Amino acid sequence: MSHANGLIAARSVTSRVTSRVMWLLCIAAAGLIISVLALVLYYLVSIGWHSVTWAFFEQDPQPYGSSGYPGGMRNGLVGTGILVGLASIVGVPVGLLAGVYLSEYRTRPWITSTVRFTADVLAGVPSIVIGILGYELLVVPIGHYNGWAGALALAFIMIPIVTRTTEEMLRLVPRSYREASIALGATKARTIVQVVLPAATGGLVTGVMLALARVAGETAPLLFTALGSRLLTFNPNYAFPSLTKQIWDYATGPYAEQKQEAWAGILVLIALIFVLNLGIRFFARSVQTRT
Amino acid sequence: MPAGVTSIESVEKKAAAPGAGESRVSLRRGAYLPDRILALLATCSALTIILLLVALVSVLVYAALPSFHTFGPSFLVHSQWRPNELERIQRDADGKVIKDADGEPVTQTLPPAFGALPVIYGTAVTSALSLFIAVPFSIGAALFLIRIAPRRFVNAVSFLIEFLAAVPSIAYGLWGLFVLAPFLQAYVEPRLNAVFHRISGLHWLASSSTTGRDIFCASLVLAIMVIPIITAVSRDVLRTVPSTQIEGTTALGATWWQTSWEMLRYCRSGLFGAIMLGLARAAGETMAVAMVIGNVNEIHASPFAAAQTMSSLLANEFAEASSDLHRAALLEVALALLAMSLVFNVVARWLVVGGGGARAAGGH
Amino acid sequence: MKGLIRNIAAIVALGGSVALAEVRLQGAGSTFVAPMMQRWVSEYQKLRPDVQADYQSIGSGGGVKAFLEKTVDFGASDAPLNKKEFAQAGGVSAVVQVPVIAGAVVPGYNLPGFNGELKLDGPVLANIFQGRIAKWNDPKIAALNAGLSLPDLAITPAHRTDGSGTTFVFTSYLATQSVDFKERIGASKQVEWPGGSGGKGNEGVTQVVESTPGAIGYIELAYALENKIPFATMKNADGKFVKASPKSTSAAGEQAAAQMDANNAAPLWNQHGANVYPIAGFTYVFVRSDLSYMHDKAKAQAVAAFLTWVIHDGQQFASQLDYAPLSAAVQTRAGQAIGRLNWSGAPIATASR
Repeated sequence: MSHANGLIAARSVTSRVTSRVMWLLCIAAAGLIISVLALVLYYLVSIGWHSVTWAFFEQDPQPYGSSGYPGGMRNGLVGTGILVGLASIVGVPVGLLAGVYLSEYRTRPWITSTVRFTADVLAGVPSIVIGILGYELLVVPIGHYNGWAGALALAFIMIPIVTRTTEEMLRLVPRSYREASIALGATKARTIVQVVLPAATGGLVTGVMLALARVAGETAPLLFTALGSRLLTFNPNYAFPSLTKQIWDYATGPYAEQKQEAWAGILVLIALIFVLNLGIRFFARSVQTRT
Repeated sequence: MPAGVTSIESVEKKAAAPGAGESRVSLRRGAYLPDRILALLATCSALTIILLLVALVSVLVYAALPSFHTFGPSFLVHSQWRPNELERIQRDADGKVIKDADGEPVTQTLPPAFGALPVIYGTAVTSALSLFIAVPFSIGAALFLIRIAPRRFVNAVSFLIEFLAAVPSIAYGLWGLFVLAPFLQAYVEPRLNAVFHRISGLHWLASSSTTGRDIFCASLVLAIMVIPIITAVSRDVLRTVPSTQIEGTTALGATWWQTSWEMLRYCRSGLFGAIMLGLARAAGETMAVAMVIGNVNEIHASPFAAAQTMSSLLANEFAEASSDLHRAALLEVALALLAMSLVFNVVARWLVVGGGGARAAGGH
Repeated sequence: MKGLIRNIAAIVALGGSVALAEVRLQGAGSTFVAPMMQRWVSEYQKLRPDVQADYQSIGSGGGVKAFLEKTVDFGASDAPLNKKEFAQAGGVSAVVQVPVIAGAVVPGYNLPGFNGELKLDGPVLANIFQGRIAKWNDPKIAALNAGLSLPDLAITPAHRTDGSGTTFVFTSYLATQSVDFKERIGASKQVEWPGGSGGKGNEGVTQVVESTPGAIGYIELAYALENKIPFATMKNADGKFVKASPKSTSAAGEQAAAQMDANNAAPLWNQHGANVYPIAGFTYVFVRSDLSYMHDKAKAQAVAAFLTWVIHDGQQFASQLDYAPLSAAVQTRAGQAIGRLNWSGAPIATASR
């Protein structure tokens, strides 16, 4: 190291005191971050806690003044489930296959690096811009807000995430697996489908869950595509409800009971993401043990 | 051993089956059908990604063309944002209303004017302020996790941090709007504002009103949102420092901080990359900011003034831009936002992967 | 557990019902009318379970845009379509514009410790929103509120950031009260407010006022009453101070039918009358007159039936939610307008059942 000699001479009282101070500051920084994050989490959980009742899961929103007001968010829960499901039908296969391409097929280096670069860059695009793309592509031509456009916008967000995690996870599979498979006479397709992919299952599931956790919490891309709906509906041809949009509507609304419902919705959303994160941790552990 | 390797290579050549990722895509005739199908599907999926980016850019550019033609590059430096026409009554030098032949006041109709400077300012200031707050804490926490904390603690804290990085922005927005903003408005901002009024050099920082929904609150919420990202990436980057470095400096008598400083210097490009990733997220954040920024499309110096960012402008106005020019102007702002996030992400990638990663691979 | 099973059964059954021929109507627009509209679509569905109408509150500007782009079946706005918007829609005869309800815009305020009834008039309000009157204890405000002590607190005017019919009604009123306001700010759905704090939708402005001591914002009456926000009594065109209520709003609407233009738009602000509240406005719903673009006759009939129900039977719910029902004369005009709805020229039956 370049200035190692200087360090020996520098172990003076000043530097020892400085070191102590910085050591304490680092602990303080970590302590502050942990407390603030825990405090935010505490607020998010505690405010909505008592509003999460069976009614929340069973009822759809009821307007102010009618019996059953404020109702629940059943439409949003089912809506988000359907939107994420539809998005996955497109997003997961495309992402997996693109990840397979980046890891297993590398025709010309410039295509591979372009695709990789593009996937990274797309993963960082603000989701509201993706929502605008969804609006121009699927709402304007069809003529009205619809659930397909919302699902497509979510799929656009999923694809780069699944692609990159798939590629990383497939790369962790040792070369010897592939070589052994070929040595036994398997073709490339067989190798990939029957040897490489199963070996990386834990990691692939991690990637998909990361993407699911991300899109389940998205609001901005749905604002101009699926819009939202007070109705429980299974028909994506029209405006489609989602949990996040329902929370947004209630939170920016005037009625106190609806704001309480919004907090309950946030709690349910966070619980969902927590479960997905636990799952990610679980599957990630199974990835590390293989290498 | 070498014999085994040779035989695998010769099997490869004989069967003409591609090896682990380094030879041609078997799309040519005569190759096994499932191979061709899989190769085709994989290639199409990969090309879809490129197509996605191309579609994004071209749709935005095409729809923003009217704005390009009308305003040109000065769009980025003008600060008037007026989506509707404004009728102004003409007055003469004495201030009297000018009337035409029928006795009606002569009006001048000012056309709609769009300028992106206020939202560029809003995005720049909130992002910069949030990083200014977040970076020292994040780097300090990353050092803590790598060098001070016991192993089990690190796992628990890492899980908390990664979980909070995954919490959707609408949750942070709700927290900011209903918990943080009222708190700031009641306790923090009036006192700080009074301090700014008193100190003569800081008058320009004082604001006429403190509503709690302003640049300061938005920056705090953004800081809380980017801290997990910067901490997690910094922790990963710092982990790549070879233990020989750490042991070497300690053996030479360096204090804890001197060693840590050397680690930070070693990883500086990776750390800058982590900061850039945080910046990219802060600049693109929509929902949380839209709820606490105050939604006023103007430039004011005070952090207690309400403002508008590029993404909150889109969230607020896109649904209702009925004139083509208004929509085109908004799309031009979206294009600027996209360009900015592309630049940040590219630089971040290059710094984290190119700088820190390469060095980790190559030793010192 | 039983509830969960019941719920799953309901979802499965509902999934089956997608196959039935139900009609789905989509409307969007004004936040001013949102509470009323949500009630209407819900009540109408009780009457006709096969019609599922949905309304999204995105602001009058959004409602107009969605209507022009045909991304919704009906749009709602408190600002009637202007010449340009009619032209974009294909001309005056291509649109049916119908007033559906009247509402009041009130200046809600947040003055901690102030328990009296604040009185304001047009010129003072215009100056407040132009930033010319900066403190609550300004002499101009005190002059209207003799005997009440106003705090030495800065005024934060709260306004709409989105394209808003509420803004249109409020600025139209202020433009009649102050020439300076008319020139510098003007009357439209979206204006350049000097300073102040912005909120999206009536909901957003309500939140700003609720949480900012010293704030004053223009919101629809229902939002103020719901959130227990005190609002000022306004001096009307006859010099009387009137508090906003369904009654004083109806009084404003009495002369409306006579003042309606060819497109059924009428200003309700600044009307004469002892009990008239001066800042009131209609909410208009727009539909295309030729509904054949929907390619679904049942849907077109549902639109006509729904609108007819809204202007007649739907008015019974108005005062519950603090809106003012349409007068009989206005109902007749509205009915005539709905009668123009056609399917490629053939009139659509407008029975509400």
